[in-house]
Amino acid sequence: MAQKTPEIYSVELSGTEDVGKTDTGDGKEKYRGLKDKRLELKKNHQKEELKKEVDLEDHKLSIKELERKYGTNIVTGLSSTQAAELLARNGPNALTPPKETPEIVKFLKQMVGGFSILLWIGAILCWIAYGIQYFNDKSSSLDSVYLGCVLALVVILTGIFAYYQEAKSTNIMASFSKMIPQQALVIRDSEKKTIPADIRLLSTQGCKVDNSSLTGESEPQSRSCEFTHDNPLETKNIGFYSTTCLEGTATGMVINTGDRTIIGQIASLASGVGHEKTPIAIEIEHFVHIVAGVAVSIGILFFIIAVSMKYYVLDSIIFLIGIIVANVPEGLLATVTVTLSLTAKRMAKKNCLVKNLEAVETLGSTSIICSDKTGTLTQNRMTVAHLWFDNQIFVADTSEDHSNQVFDQSSGTWASLSKIITLCNRAEFRPGQESVPIMKKVVVGDASETALLKFSEVILGDVMEIRKRNRKVAEIPFNSTNKFQLSIHETDDPSDKRFLMVMKGAPERVLEKCSTIMVNGQEQPLDDSTAEAFHTAYMELGGLGERVLGFCHLYLPADKFPETYSFDVDTVNFPTSNLCFVGLLSMIDPPRSTVPDAVTKCRSAGIKVIMVTGDHPITAKAIAKSVGIISANSETVEDIAKRLNIPVEQVSKRDAKAAVVTGMELKDMSPEQLDELLTDYSEIVFARTSPQQKLIIVEGCQRQDAVVAVTGDGVNDSPALKKADIGIAMGIAGSDAAKNAADMVLLDDNFASIVTGVEEGRLIFDNLKKTIAYTLTKNIAELCPFLIYIIAGLPLPIGTITILFIDLGTDIIPSIALAYEKAESDIMNRKPRHKKKDRLVNAPLAIYSYLHIGLMQALGAFVVYFTVYAQEGFRPSALINLRVEWEKDSVNDLEDSYGQEWTQYQRKYLEWTGYTAFFVGIMIQQIADLIIRKTRRNSIFQQGLFRNKVIWVGIASQIIIALILSYGLGSVSALNFTMLRPQYWFVAVPHAILIWVYDEVRKLFIRLYPGSWWDKNMYY
Amino acid sequence: MCGGRGSRAGPLPGAGIGTLARPLKRLQRKVSGGCGGGSSRGLLSHHPAGDSTSGLVVEGRERGLILLFYLVFYGFLAALFSFTMWAMLQTLNDEVPKYRDQIPSPGLMVFPKPVTALDYSFRVSDPESYRGYVDDLTKFLKSYDLEEQKNLTACPDGALREQKGPTYTACQFPVVSLKGCSGVEDPEFGYSTGNPCILVKMNRIIGLKPQGKPRINCISKGEKTATLSTYPSNGTIDLKYFPYYGKKLHVRYLQPLVAVQVAFNTTSTGKEVTVECKIDGSPNLRNQDDRDKFLGRVVFKITMHA
Repeated sequence: MAQKTPEIYSVELSGTEDVGKTDTGDGKEKYRGLKDKRLELKKNHQKEELKKEVDLEDHKLSIKELERKYGTNIVTGLSSTQAAELLARNGPNALTPPKETPEIVKFLKQMVGGFSILLWIGAILCWIAYGIQYFNDKSSSLDSVYLGCVLALVVILTGIFAYYQEAKSTNIMASFSKMIPQQALVIRDSEKKTIPADIRLLSTQGCKVDNSSLTGESEPQSRSCEFTHDNPLETKNIGFYSTTCLEGTATGMVINTGDRTIIGQIASLASGVGHEKTPIAIEIEHFVHIVAGVAVSIGILFFIIAVSMKYYVLDSIIFLIGIIVANVPEGLLATVTVTLSLTAKRMAKKNCLVKNLEAVETLGSTSIICSDKTGTLTQNRMTVAHLWFDNQIFVADTSEDHSNQVFDQSSGTWASLSKIITLCNRAEFRPGQESVPIMKKVVVGDASETALLKFSEVILGDVMEIRKRNRKVAEIPFNSTNKFQLSIHETDDPSDKRFLMVMKGAPERVLEKCSTIMVNGQEQPLDDSTAEAFHTAYMELGGLGERVLGFCHLYLPADKFPETYSFDVDTVNFPTSNLCFVGLLSMIDPPRSTVPDAVTKCRSAGIKVIMVTGDHPITAKAIAKSVGIISANSETVEDIAKRLNIPVEQVSKRDAKAAVVTGMELKDMSPEQLDELLTDYSEIVFARTSPQQKLIIVEGCQRQDAVVAVTGDGVNDSPALKKADIGIAMGIAGSDAAKNAADMVLLDDNFASIVTGVEEGRLIFDNLKKTIAYTLTKNIAELCPFLIYIIAGLPLPIGTITILFIDLGTDIIPSIALAYEKAESDIMNRKPRHKKKDRLVNAPLAIYSYLHIGLMQALGAFVVYFTVYAQEGFRPSALINLRVEWEKDSVNDLEDSYGQEWTQYQRKYLEWTGYTAFFVGIMIQQIADLIIRKTRRNSIFQQGLFRNKVIWVGIASQIIIALILSYGLGSVSALNFTMLRPQYWFVAVPHAILIWVYDEVRKLFIRLYPGSWWDKNMYY
Repeated sequence: MCGGRGSRAGPLPGAGIGTLARPLKRLQRKVSGGCGGGSSRGLLSHHPAGDSTSGLVVEGRERGLILLFYLVFYGFLAALFSFTMWAMLQTLNDEVPKYRDQIPSPGLMVFPKPVTALDYSFRVSDPESYRGYVDDLTKFLKSYDLEEQKNLTACPDGALREQKGPTYTACQFPVVSLKGCSGVEDPEFGYSTGNPCILVKMNRIIGLKPQGKPRINCISKGEKTATLSTYPSNGTIDLKYFPYYGKKLHVRYLQPLVAVQVAFNTTSTGKEVTVECKIDGSPNLRNQDDRDKFLGRVVFKITMHA
């Protein structure tokens, strides 16, 4: 932070009072320009700045120094003129929304992206050709103008379609793109307040803030006026913009506003982190390059051949256009978009909302997931995990519904303990939730008390009723100096006139106050051995990363404390020592029950799961172990050292598979050391990390050529989310900034949903391969006619318009249908694809499509073509080198093989019949192509011919469109289709069957001889 | 056809013939079984990267296998294509095409054969300017020579001449009926005298039987700048020339011709005329089609310079 904001005014924050409006509001717009300039300056340093720790000095200054620095007075504040001046200088207290790409730019991008450029060139060449023709002969036909228009139309329509698809998916997310609202959030009976700016606290009263959106720590943090830590994020005397004040009141001085607040910096810097191209975008670009390269080089080659064969340059240009059109799969990019959006829809059903369509596949190629802990891996609520009483540790059920509490509840100790848990608790269910399951009920109270309330409600039934029967007569609430909470109740036993005092708190503090301990319902003196047992249990539970509470009680003797006794909590006119210790209870934010399974799946899918959390290393490690991020049999260096009882330095690093790294350690690491860490350990947990470090970790992973997915919910996560190959924000807990920066939103905040997403992503990659292979195949069948036409001088077998009808007509639905294909084998059992090695379009795919199936198709289509010509009178031998005569307008008595004479139009009509025949030939063989593309490795019969019904819809659509074109629109001469004799539809069928058989043989050999040259060259 | 292209483009970058030859021979022994799948066991065990010589051998073998595969594959495709084409040709009849639906009605064509558009232009004073036309007509009428026609049948006029075969005879066409355009009296076909001749013929269509009395009717379009005379008189096409039985059966068939001779009016200033000839008098011969400008009609222009 180079620029310090000298703006200051006093703001009072309180749990109950309204927050004064912090912005004077006038002159907001006028001074935008000024602010923008500053932002630009800042942008240059963004990345460097991001990685640095937040640099803020104000927390170290005394109040006097602060006053001097900001030229203000903490009592009177700024004068209104001063305030206006500062507002003018610094702009309003609001975050600048991220810059949006203008719609028109997005639209134009679609118009020139991909193959569009090639087609535009084709269209322009058409018009140029017509221009030259027109210049030479005013009566020249408008054919090339039409063709140019059709090409332009194709580009524009596919562009509009792609734009529409994009816009649709962006709109879904529009609701999420609002910036952090600057208003009080009323959440409960006691209100939560959003802190309106970064403030240096001047006076506080029991103030607690929730910094989770900034640091990821879910626990409320207490705030005071003292400077407690060098790091501004850790110190207690700073309150941050957009964090919430949970309880207490505080007054502070505003030190930063708007974009200059810590959160503002992070949010605006996040938009500056370059978004890498998605892997699928790279793949598609690669594919476009291949196809465009083939198209242009064949086009130019044949242009040269044509010119050297003494064709007119004009004709050669027309050939060039034909070759380009034949080579470019016009419909493919639109198909890919549709396919991706279909998958996106499917993922949305599984709670993965995809913002950026291309991210659908990115998830599939993910090789490292950097996951948050809180809320993603865990349930994001404290839950009772263990109990210790009667010298025994009991395990409580921490699954989502708590239904299965199996620990021994017969002991008398449990009866006492449960009573303390129930009574010594201020949390209450919010009324009016009778029909809601217990675990889902909204509770008023802090996390631990909520956990205890729900725990007791599940086991004991109506807690509120029990509390009513044991009326509370006095209470000392929890505070940080006492570290305990105490309440005194009447008992529900009418014969027992004693008061029951119950206490819970930090175990060591509670134990100090006890002289006896309850074992099996009997009070026993607290001796050294029981104290030892207590400590062992306490350490063990603490070592599990759990928060431990101690519980004790005391029945106040009825003689000293009669029913009418008046308890005074201020003077404490009752004993608070020599109580009876009853038990320990430990709580944790437990892992979601679906997570361990999901982590196992990730592992078998070759995906490394790294936990990155702001939490304590012990807790982080415990959760990592329980969900399998650190597997049961792997140890960290520290574990080994402990087991062998040797110093950490002596442990060979190779023995450890797992590592727990804290933010402090990470801070001292060089990038090389981080790389080493990331490669050496397969199971890594980063604890106590700052948002900046999350970014460093992501970059480290990306240096390993990994495709990195990052989950996050806080504003602080947004730079990492943006930097990641795929940023995944939490839909429930996530902040808007995080959702903005992410490519995908998990609607249920559940890690397991990522795994289903990965599965879909991998499937779509496989299926896109099939779609592309299917689409590329017919390009050869479309291209060969032009080549043969140029070289052998046959009448043109297929026209450019007809090709467009295949590419954008019959082939569209089938290629989309392949997106519905089921996986051939368990795609979650193979490694993620290497983004540089496993290409979407690889050499075998191109060669097999072009030179095997494509060629067979071309031959099949030529058979149909030759058949039509031969049966009408032109035998194949007569066709060779007939082109010049055939196309001459003035030749109206061209003799066929039988001595008959044809006028130019009669020939033209026969040529169109030839187009139709060739078209039908390709269409019929594309049906076979579609069926063989269902699988790449398995036999069609293994995959099931009828499992994917959409394929059959595709086949039906192909046939119906072809029938309509031939029989319905056969009379529209501009389309160049004619009514084809029914028998010609079947001429290519043997070739289609041959394609199927050939592909089955290919797959059979691939299955029989894995790793063979056949496998290497024929498996795509 | 495409096969040739494909084999060139096969994935064999930089594999010299010499380096391939040896492993290929060895391979042929091994792969005799089929497409080569069976040979994988011996050949494709992966060698450690350090063993460069055997690695090269394996690579060479693989390239050889691939080359062999493409030879076999494309050979097979070529054979298959040849076979299907052969099978398709078997369905054809040598004498008559299987379908004649695309030429139901004949087109009209003129001689001399126009070079680009149907536009004849010459200078009476310059024989070179019409030499091409005269040569073309002479050449065309060569088959109508009396000498050539002497073996043909003299058929009775006015009726269709249906034949049952096995041999089909052609009728004589008395070239003299073309009068001044026959080339007999005037080897220059009137071009030297400023009365150029244009021959009009009807396209041959197998089995076509004109109904009624077909004739070629020629008119000059626009201003009456010239008078047209048609030979034979009235432009009649005799039915005896129909039906046509095809090149193979109906050897030496001569199609009937009609000549148009143009005589420019001496008064007219422009020596230019546009002539339209149409088939008339036969209900089954169409002469009006929006798209086909030559179906039963033909339009040509004659420009004569002094």
